[in-house]
Formats: sequence, structure tokens, C-alpha cells
Amino acid sequence: MENVIEVKNLTKEYKNLKAIDNLSFNVYEGEILGLLGPNGSGKSTTINCILSLLNYQSGNIKIFSKKMEPNSYDIKKDIGVIFQDVAVFNELTVYENIDYFCGLYIKDKILRKEYVFDAIKLVGLEDFVKFYPKQLSGGLLRRLNIACGIAHKPRLIFLDEPTVAVDPQSRNNILDGIKQLRDNGATIIYTTHYMEEVELLCDRIIILDKGKIIAEGSSDELKKNATTVEKITVELTSITKEIIDKIETLKNIDDVYINDNIVVITYKKDANNLEKLIDLLKDNNVSYNSIFSERPTLNDVFLELTGKDLRD
Amino acid sequence: MFFHNFRYSLKILTRNRTLLFWTFIFPILLGTFFYLAFSDIEKNETLDVINIAIIPNDSYKNNKIYNEAFKKLSDKKNKDRLFNIKYIDETRAKKLLNKKKITGYLNFEDEDIKITVLTSGINETILRYVIDEVKSEETIINTLVKNEAMNDIKKGNYNIDYNKIYMNANKLLNSDDIKIKDISNNNLSYTMIEYYTLIAMAALYGSIISMFITNYYLANMNSIGKRVSISKISKFKLLFSGLLSSYIIQVFGLLLLFLYTIFVLKVDYGTNFNLVMLLSLVSVLAGLSLGVAVSVLIKKNDNAKTGILIGITMLGCFLSGMMGITMKYIVDKNIPILNLINPASMITDGFYALYYYNTLDRYYFDIISLVLFSAIMLVISIKSLRRQKYDSI
Amino acid sequence: MTVFKTFFKVVKAYRGTIIFYTILLIVFGGMNFQTNDNSMTFTNTKPDIAIVNKDSDNPITNNLIKYLKKNAKIIKLDDSESKRNDALFYRDVNYIIYIPKNYGKTISEGKKVELSIKKTPDYNAYLAYIMLKRYLKVQNIYTKTNTDEREIIKNINNSLDNNTKVKVMSKLNTTELSNMNSYFNFASYSIMAIVIFIVCLVLSGFHEESIIKRTIISSMDYKRYNRLILISGIIYTIITWLVFTILGFFLLKETLFSLRGLIYLFNSLLFTMCSLTIALLVSSLLNNKNAVNGIVNVIALGSSFLCGAFVPSSFLPKSVLNFSKILPTYWYINTNDTLAKLEIINLNSLRNVFSNMIIILIFILVFIILNNIITKYKRKIG
Repeated sequence: MENVIEVKNLTKEYKNLKAIDNLSFNVYEGEILGLLGPNGSGKSTTINCILSLLNYQSGNIKIFSKKMEPNSYDIKKDIGVIFQDVAVFNELTVYENIDYFCGLYIKDKILRKEYVFDAIKLVGLEDFVKFYPKQLSGGLLRRLNIACGIAHKPRLIFLDEPTVAVDPQSRNNILDGIKQLRDNGATIIYTTHYMEEVELLCDRIIILDKGKIIAEGSSDELKKNATTVEKITVELTSITKEIIDKIETLKNIDDVYINDNIVVITYKKDANNLEKLIDLLKDNNVSYNSIFSERPTLNDVFLELTGKDLRD
Repeated sequence: MFFHNFRYSLKILTRNRTLLFWTFIFPILLGTFFYLAFSDIEKNETLDVINIAIIPNDSYKNNKIYNEAFKKLSDKKNKDRLFNIKYIDETRAKKLLNKKKITGYLNFEDEDIKITVLTSGINETILRYVIDEVKSEETIINTLVKNEAMNDIKKGNYNIDYNKIYMNANKLLNSDDIKIKDISNNNLSYTMIEYYTLIAMAALYGSIISMFITNYYLANMNSIGKRVSISKISKFKLLFSGLLSSYIIQVFGLLLLFLYTIFVLKVDYGTNFNLVMLLSLVSVLAGLSLGVAVSVLIKKNDNAKTGILIGITMLGCFLSGMMGITMKYIVDKNIPILNLINPASMITDGFYALYYYNTLDRYYFDIISLVLFSAIMLVISIKSLRRQKYDSI
Repeated sequence: MTVFKTFFKVVKAYRGTIIFYTILLIVFGGMNFQTNDNSMTFTNTKPDIAIVNKDSDNPITNNLIKYLKKNAKIIKLDDSESKRNDALFYRDVNYIIYIPKNYGKTISEGKKVELSIKKTPDYNAYLAYIMLKRYLKVQNIYTKTNTDEREIIKNINNSLDNNTKVKVMSKLNTTELSNMNSYFNFASYSIMAIVIFIVCLVLSGFHEESIIKRTIISSMDYKRYNRLILISGIIYTIITWLVFTILGFFLLKETLFSLRGLIYLFNSLLFTMCSLTIALLVSSLLNNKNAVNGIVNVIALGSSFLCGAFVPSSFLPKSVLNFSKILPTYWYINTNDTLAKLEIINLNSLRNVFSNMIIILIFILVFIILNNIITKYKRKIG
């Protein structure tokens, strides 16, 4: 696969904070790469450095095998970016906004009109063409924000948390749109801290923390690396020290968390754990309201790697 | 691309109501307030007939000189009429004085005249001067008559015709041949300065427009700025097309203000229309370049920048006389160096020079100052804009 | 407590604006202050004149200058015509007298010489004119009948040397009163701007939809909540008034604590409260935070210009004053102006003052009622 982006030894320091620490990674053509990390882990900074908006202390960045600089207009023409903040003009309608940003790339009026309508269709704003941003709900505004970034049909798209504070319908619409963009041949870099989206969408994931890569791979690969393989949650009617002690003697247990009457048990190995636990409870005449077993999610992986919850 | 951005900048600017209020409506409103408040000030400066009272006792009735003088000064047919005289007794005069219906009243006591007024003031002083003048005339006639009589006596002529001497003296006194030539310029209406500062304010409020549009091209100020910065168009191309649209809107706004002040408020801009236009075009340029500079150099949010620009504009206008015309004079006289950094004063002074001065040196000095000011602002901004990457966003 | 805290957070955030309006008051309220000269005895108003003397040292010329110096205030200007023109335009001088070369000599030869002058079209220039005319007239007469320079000068000075006695009736210290008046008149602008600006910003913040929702579902009762906003508004308004009172004390000293001064203070308190009710009304009508700045400027500047806060109301056209009677500021300033002129203060002389205050009270009531009607109407719509 061809490298669309090459980042080599990128380091960016603010006054007394190392935001990015000797970061290297590649992005391959046609993939959706998820950049995952808690707030302040350096996701946005990385993107801004790649886009040559920020100065950085050291490192090499190539896009389409060419060095990226502020004046690299031949590279820029094939890039589309959707930032965290909604970047649209309040004074322009939905159509005008998209047309304005598209017009910065596409000169031909007829072609542009076509592109603008393609973008509107992609994000599903057909019914709101003449609306002003103030008249749109949060989710629709996000969709407009995306349409403005991709109307010129770029080959490389950066999406920086495009679904923050978006209703489920809009989110599904946005995610479908992103898949469609990939299917149309675009390469996509996607940052978020919504685990489900990454699992659903991304071909490859890079987990960042404190400006460093702490894990890399597909969703399944990452989960395989995790020590936890199963997680059982049980809600007991009453809880005693005795029973907890007994649970802890079970095999393959990694850890036991207790929260009120709810006990969460994580396992290192997959070996009929649920069955054994139920037996134990039965033997001791302990009654429970509910019990269920889960496979680990990326969130658990993340928690293990960083000790932090993603959603914080 | 240039035209595309230009067209949309026009749309964006003309649809922003807050911007339009400050640059279009507010100057017109303020101008109207000026007009309503100041239109009578200068009329009040011209002399009205002064109301006075005279107590018509015997001392007054017997004094021929005063009788005649006051008759003349209160004669309705006389275009130099100064007084409107009521002949009433002292109690009534006092009452009228307390109610401020009259400036003062005169009481003739034997040889002397007593003026009674409420406070010191201009009308009161005029009243006193006039009485003093009549008194002088009395003295003069007495002196002349005495001299003439003495001369006659010296010549050995003891048969003195006092009546004739008196007539001669009176004739001499009234041969009003004082030669004073007024060489002052007619354009002395100082409230015009208010309107000139208004134009200066409107032109400098244009800085809000250019600040607003420039912000959109700065990645470190604005999320749209980031989006625009990663597009394939150079920042300068965008900036200049955006500024061109700001310029056109601002010129249009100023034109409206001119039409309004000329036709509704009757402001006098002098006679040279072309030079007025030139000054306006340069003023708008100065305002826009100020806005660009503030936008580029000051790392604050939109509201803070608007506050700064309004602050600069109002301070500038204050120093050039908007809140008190004397301020401009004080600065001109004592700290003229301040005018070299204050665009509001350059604009105001330019209009003032066109209105009041016969020569154009001062006007061109102001024009050049404005051009230099704009150039400096733009050069500083461009220098800073050249740095295309930021340390933080 | 939360409501109150939020209120003063906004105050803190916009302290720059508040300080700006306060400084305006100090600068412009204070700029019109006159230095205290005792007005119990009559003093001539002296016009400001400039003399451009091209003549050499000549007794006749010198005598004219001496006379002018005695009766007018001579302003020293740089010897350039443009400086003189500026001075005339800005009324630094009202009258400029140009004495030509050989003036004195020609006059003493009995010939006539024309004096050039420049003047402003106002009272002071007229004063200068009758002063100069009087001298020239006398000079004319004596040069016609006499040839000896010393004799001429002696006669001129004799004839001019009379000063009619003037009795001043008023016992008021007009300087102090006019200072107090100009302070309180200008204060109407600052008070209005500060009160409306802050209250509108706070309220439009509270009115913003998301916050309304939050407060409606919060445990706090809606009516209690509204009452709290009102109380914080009143407290803020009173603090504003207190600050201006203290400021007034620094500028006006003990004049403020006379009976007259206390009535001034009460009047301003009433006006401040009226501004609060205007602010409440405006914020009920307003949905847009961005518009606050514009509206404050229009209301505060407008009523100040039209009612005589900046330009004394006696200088305003009658038609403007008739119109401005629909604004509360008019009645506030009218009270101030009346107070400044009152010779004696008693119930009878204060009748006008009381009726003005009642009118302001009516304004307050009307604004409150309007505000209630509008909020009710809006709640139904929402």
C-alpha cells in the first residue's frame, strides 16, 4: 500500500509541555485511521502539525510523498479538514457556506454546483439548503461542518472529533457518510474518544497518550494484546466479605471491583468462567439479581494501557 | 478565486447586523443627536435684545443725554437696537429681576446711576458698558464745551453761545466715523468640527469591518481561519479580496453619511468636493488598515478586539474634539505630536482645513499623514502575516 | 446566592466598561468645572482678545493697548496667522485687533486709520467691539480738537474713566452650584449607560434558553428566581449610585451635603432606579446579547443629548426640548437645573422639583407595568 502520510520523529513543545514526543507513523492509501486518546493526548496538535499550521521543534512530515509546508498548495488542494469547532459563516446559508469553501478549490461553476449538491446529499442536508447555521440543531450543524470540509472531494480527509455532542441520528448519518467517502477512495484520519465509532469505522487504530504512541493496530489486534479477556458483572442481593473472599479464590481472575452490590470480575484467561462463578454462588446460597459476561472493549484496552478512562 | 472570495465577503459583511449597525446606523444616529443638540448653540451666541428696566424718577426724566441715548438704543426701527426697556417702579423691577425676566434695572440717583443685576454675566457687562459709554459721552461733551468756552474766553469773546457749542460737540460725538474693518473668515461655525469628528469616527469604525473579515483568514484566531489556511489559496489573495469588499462597503456607508449630513443636517464641508472625496477615501483606508493591524497583532477574541477598536476610535475622536471641540484646540496648541499618531485627528483636521483655510498645505499634510499611517499599519500587519505557522493555535 | 454571584461575575467581567463610563464622568463632568471666584461683587465679563501690534513704541498706540489690557483678557498667541485663525475658530480668542505700522503717529496727526479686526460671531466679540468702539470714538473726538499727544491721551483717559456702580442681588454661589449641576447632569449619562449595560447583559444571559431550562427544572421556584434577579439588580443599582455619590463628594466637597445637595442626591437615586426599570424593560424586549452595546449607546447617548446632559438645556432648540419631555432624563435634568437656580429652598419653591420627581416615579411605574405585560406575553408564546 502506498503511504499517503509519513510522520517521522515529530516533536512539538509548548513552553514547558511536551505535546508530541518523537512521534512516527504512516497513513496508507484508502484506509480509515483512528487516532485515539484522552483529552490533551496530542491528537489535534498532531493534525495541526501535519497540516503545517503549527511550528514544531523537529521532525519530517510528507504528504503524497512530498514535504508539507505552508505554501504546498499542490498538496493542499487534495486535503479536506473537519476541525473540532464548527467553522461556518453565520451570515451564509447552508448552500452558500458549502459553495464558499468549495469555491476555494474548484473554480468551474458548473462542476462546483455539482460537487456542492453531492456534499449536501452525503451529509443529508437536502431539506436545509436555504437555512442559516443558527436555525440548525447541533447535529445538523456538525453535518454542515463536515460538508464544508469535503465538498471539493479531497483524497485525504482529516476528521477531528466530528461527532462531539451530536444526536444519534446525526451521528449515524455522519458515520455512514465517512464510510462512503472511504468507499469513494479517500484516505481518512479520524480522531475521537468514542470507542464504538472507532471499532465500527477504523481499519487501523493508533492510541496516543502524552504525545506518544502506546499501541497501534486493528481493533481486534489491540484487543488481543490486552490481558483482560473476559469481564463478568454480577449484581448481588447482599454482599458479604466472605463471598468476596471466595470469589477471589477462583482461577484466572485478574481483578475484582466492588461498587455497592455490583461486583465486576475481570479474567486473564477464557475458561468457562461464567459457569464456575454461578456454581460458586449457588453453593454458597448467594442470590443475585443479574449476571452477564462481556468481551473486553477498546475502552478496557485503553484503561489498561493508560490507567485513564477515555471519556474523561 | 479572488472574485469568489470578494463576492462572499460582501455577502457576509452585509448580512451582519451588528457590523452594519456600528458602521452605518450609529454614525447617522449620533449625527442626528449632534444636530438636535448643537443646532441652536451658535444661534444662542448671537446677540438678542436685552430686557432691562428703568425706574422713571425725576432724576432720569431730567437727564437729557440719557433720555436720548436710551430712546435710540431701544428704538425698534434701529437695526442696532440693544435694549427692550420697561419703565416701572423698583418693587416691580426687583420682582422681574428675580424671575429673570430682565437682565437688570437702572436707578438714577441725583448725579449717579446705579445698576442692579442678579449675577455677573455677559448681558450684565454689556449693560454696564453701555451706561459707561453714555457717561463718557457726558464727560466728553462737558470737556468739549468747557474747552471751547475757554478758547472763546482766551480769544476775548465773552459772548459765548453755549447752545451752539453744545450742538457742535454733539455733532462731533455722533459723527460715527469709526473705521473698523472685519477681515475674518466667514466659515467660523465651530460645531462643524463635531460632524468632522463624526466622519472620522465612521471611517475608523470601518476598522471593525476589516478586523472582522481579517480574522477569518487567521488560523490562530478562528476555526474558519484554520479551514481557510489549509485551502489551496494564498492568505494574501484572500486578505486583499476581503479587504476590497470591506473597503467598498465602508465607502458606501460613508457616502450615505455624507448625503445625510449634507442634505439633512446641513453640514458644510467647504467648496472643494473632489478634495472632500479624496480625504474620505484615504480616511476609509486608514480605518481599514487599523482594523487589519489590530486583527493580526492582538491575540484576543472578536469581542475584545471590537472593544479595543471602539476604544481607540473613541479616544482618537475625543482628542480631536468630538466630546468638546476645545479638546482639539488644546491638543493642536500644546501637544501637536499627538496628532501625528491619531488618525481621527488627521481626518478631522483635514476637513477643518478644507472648511476654514484658504490654502491647502494643511489639508495635504493631513492626507499624507493618513497615507503614511495606513502604510505603516499595513506593513506591520503583512510582516506578521508572512509568518505562516503558529507556535500555538 | 447563585443568582447574586452570577450577577457580580458579569459585573467583574465588564469592569473595563464600567470604569470607562466612570472616567468619562470625571473628565467631562469635571471639565466644565469653573474655578471659584466670588460672585457676590460684580465682575465684568472680559472678552478674550489678541492684539497684533505692528506699530513701534508710540504713546497713542500704547494707550490703546493699555486700555484693552484693562478691559479684556489678552491671550498671547504665537506670531503666525494660522495660529491666530485656529485660536479664533476654537474661540480661544473672540477678537483679534491688528494695529498697523505708524498707527499712533498717523492718529496724532489727526488723520484717520482703519483698524482691521477678526471676530467670532458671538456675545464676547460684541463686547470687545463696543469696548473698542467706545475708545476709538473718544480718540476720534479728541484728535479732531487737539494736537498735543499728551493732552489727547489725558483727555481720552479722563473720559473713559468711569465705572458705573453695579449691585448684585443674588446671594447664590453660582460657581459651586453650576459645578454641582454639571456633575449631576453628566452623571445621568454614566448612570444610565452603566446600569442598562450591565443589567441587560446579565439578564440576557439569564434569559438565554438553555439557562431558562436549567432554572425551570432546578428546585428553585420560578417566581422566587425572578425576585432574586430583581433584588440583585436593585443592589447593583444602589451600589452604582453610592459610587457616584462618593465620587461626587470628592469632586464637590461639602457643597454636596447642603440641603440642596441632598435633594440632588435623592433626585439621582430616583433616576438610577428609573434606569434600572428601563434596563429590565429593554432586556425583556431583547433576545440578542450582541445588540446590548448598540442599544445602550442609543438610549443613553440619545437621552443625554436630547435632554441637556451634555449641552445645557437652555442651548437646545425648543422643539427638541418639547420632544424630550417623553424621556425621564428630561425631568431629572430639569430638576437639577431648577435646583441650581433656587434662591431660597422651601416647600413652596420646591413645588416644581416635587412634581418632576413624581413624573419620574410615574415613568418607573409605567416601565414596570410594561415589563410585566411583555414578560407575560412572551411566556405564553414560549
